[in-house]
Amino acid sequence: MSGRIIEVNQRKVQILENGSGAPLLYLHGFADVHSVNEGWLPFHDQLAKRARVIAPAHPGCAQSDEYKDLDAIEDVVFHYLEVFDALKLSEFDLVGSCVGGWIAAEIAVRHPEKLRKLVLIGAAGLFVEGALIGDVFMMAQPEYGSSYASLREMLFASADQPNALAMFPDGKGEIEDEVRRYQMLRLGSRIGFKPPYFYNRPLRNRLHRITSPALVIWGEKDNFVPRAHGETYAKLIPNNGELKIIPGAGHSAHVEKPEETAKLVLDFLGK
Amino acid sequence: MKPVQLFCWHFMAYPYLDKDFDEKEYTGWVTVPNRLWNNSKARGLYQEYIDQLAYADELGFDGMVLNEHHQNIYGLMPSPNLIASALTQCTSRGKIVILGNLLPLHMNPLRVAEEYAMLDQMSNGRLIAGFAPGGGPETFNYDVPSANTREKFWEAADLIVRSWTEDGPFAHEGRYFPLRYVNLWPKPLQQPFPPVWIPGSRSPSTMNEVAKRGYCYFLSSRSHGGETHKAQQEFAAVLEKHGDQYHPFRFGILMSTYVAETDQQAREECEEGVWYFLKNCLKGHLRRVGRQLTYGPGVPYIPAAAWREYLKGYTPGRKLLGDVENWEELEASQSIIVGSPETVTRRIQSLIEKAKVGNLLIQFQLGNMPDHLARKSMKLFAEKVAPALRQESLTQFTREFPGMNVEQSAEALH
Repeated sequence: MSGRIIEVNQRKVQILENGSGAPLLYLHGFADVHSVNEGWLPFHDQLAKRARVIAPAHPGCAQSDEYKDLDAIEDVVFHYLEVFDALKLSEFDLVGSCVGGWIAAEIAVRHPEKLRKLVLIGAAGLFVEGALIGDVFMMAQPEYGSSYASLREMLFASADQPNALAMFPDGKGEIEDEVRRYQMLRLGSRIGFKPPYFYNRPLRNRLHRITSPALVIWGEKDNFVPRAHGETYAKLIPNNGELKIIPGAGHSAHVEKPEETAKLVLDFLGK
Repeated sequence: MKPVQLFCWHFMAYPYLDKDFDEKEYTGWVTVPNRLWNNSKARGLYQEYIDQLAYADELGFDGMVLNEHHQNIYGLMPSPNLIASALTQCTSRGKIVILGNLLPLHMNPLRVAEEYAMLDQMSNGRLIAGFAPGGGPETFNYDVPSANTREKFWEAADLIVRSWTEDGPFAHEGRYFPLRYVNLWPKPLQQPFPPVWIPGSRSPSTMNEVAKRGYCYFLSSRSHGGETHKAQQEFAAVLEKHGDQYHPFRFGILMSTYVAETDQQAREECEEGVWYFLKNCLKGHLRRVGRQLTYGPGVPYIPAAAWREYLKGYTPGRKLLGDVENWEELEASQSIIVGSPETVTRRIQSLIEKAKVGNLLIQFQLGNMPDHLARKSMKLFAEKVAPALRQESLTQFTREFPGMNVEQSAEALH
């Protein structure tokens, strides 16, 4: 196991930490550290050159204990308030991707004072009429009992690109990688299956409460969270520039184009 | 002691798909396009199926079995209770087994408690009450989050039984279904409450929960090799751990059969229905082509540790029942037993002998099998197979479970 374990409210939480400087909290999504990879990805290595990057594993993911009373996004927000207290983080940069981006947005609307700056990458969480978030659960059921091509297609720009194949190979992957993927789906099922999928209707009308500067990044071809969601975030978060598109990337821009995505983030954070 | 109990199970498949269905359509479950529903053909279909079940009652089967499915061609019973209600009016003897209502799909389990109580009254105490959690496809159909389905299921099941047995009004202070006034009208007729059956697929935790409550365990697998015998042994061991004893009527299995005058005739007559069932009805459920929704990481209802154990023994892309390519493979799966009365008797006999199973839930109508063939097979079974099975099993059970009172229903434990 990598990283360390802290305890909040009698639950273990796995934390990875790298780099030094001002704290940058990273919340993971589906194709990511903790939910597939045990350790850091190149994107995080880039960030860690300029900041103290802290990446907790969500409840039930990787080595973090499952939180059995977790039913809704609200429970995740309160979980993270406890994590921030345990880590003695009062003001920090918050970066979230995919489901992690949703969690970040929910934290930001409730506790804008805790955030120095906010970055959302392909963030779920919004209800945008006519642009449903994809069914990652059905796509996670392999075709022919062994092909994850449609899952890769959903989470990346194309099913055949090497980084997608490395994270979600066909057939039998490494058991521990598959278990981490499963754990992330299980958390996803708790907070994002109902309503279908991964949104909290009131979030949209709360985005105006965010006071910190924000950056919204989207892959050019996101097949999981449609770009309309990125446009909505960019439009409704007050202190925010225009939506930044990563050319050639799909939903997991930080995995597919780590250098470009990290540069955008670091520039925005002023590092 | 009593002989093996023989039940007739009807799934009520949609039988009017074109021959190129498998080639053209991705799945038979959840997203199978409902433009394929043909009203001019389907008029009267429910009546035909209900009449087949009533015929089973006439033929002396011990009961009729129904279950709940949604949005597929495999089973047209989103509400088995409606069919059960019809059966209370056109049958008089056999048990009415509903295996079962899918509890996590119901907004309020009290509705199930009420409907089951009504059915028990309407049938003069013939209801066997099944509860099931629902599998992968239902997750998608009814948008039911997977991670806490099992907990939700047991809370609902326990609330239902409590509402049948405890005087109301009482408050249910549950996590998922909190209720202020539980006070059931009507009560079920059978006392203290109707027999409860729970399906499972050999998961130790389900067996444990079933044993704890003294219910009957029903193995939901469609194939019967050594696994069936193993499941029986596992369940018997779990019962013992709970200070209880196994007997054949604590356990049930699902199987399919077709009986005709000779082996060859049986195969010829049923083959079309069998392949329709395997290739169309099981597509999306027990076939690897398309996307099997029943079990997988996208329906994460078991804890991560249990998933890890499952992965250790799992072979990606392995063949499922509906992937059999020829008749010989199908025969080897022991899922659908086809032949003359002698052949079918012999094969089922050996299954009972090994698995010591007292409840056989048998599917006769398969896929698009026409009414007259389903009825002929049921009649031959009732007249030429059932008597021998009953006689042999009675001898076997009396020998293997001496002095055991099997009439003492599971519920009497409470």
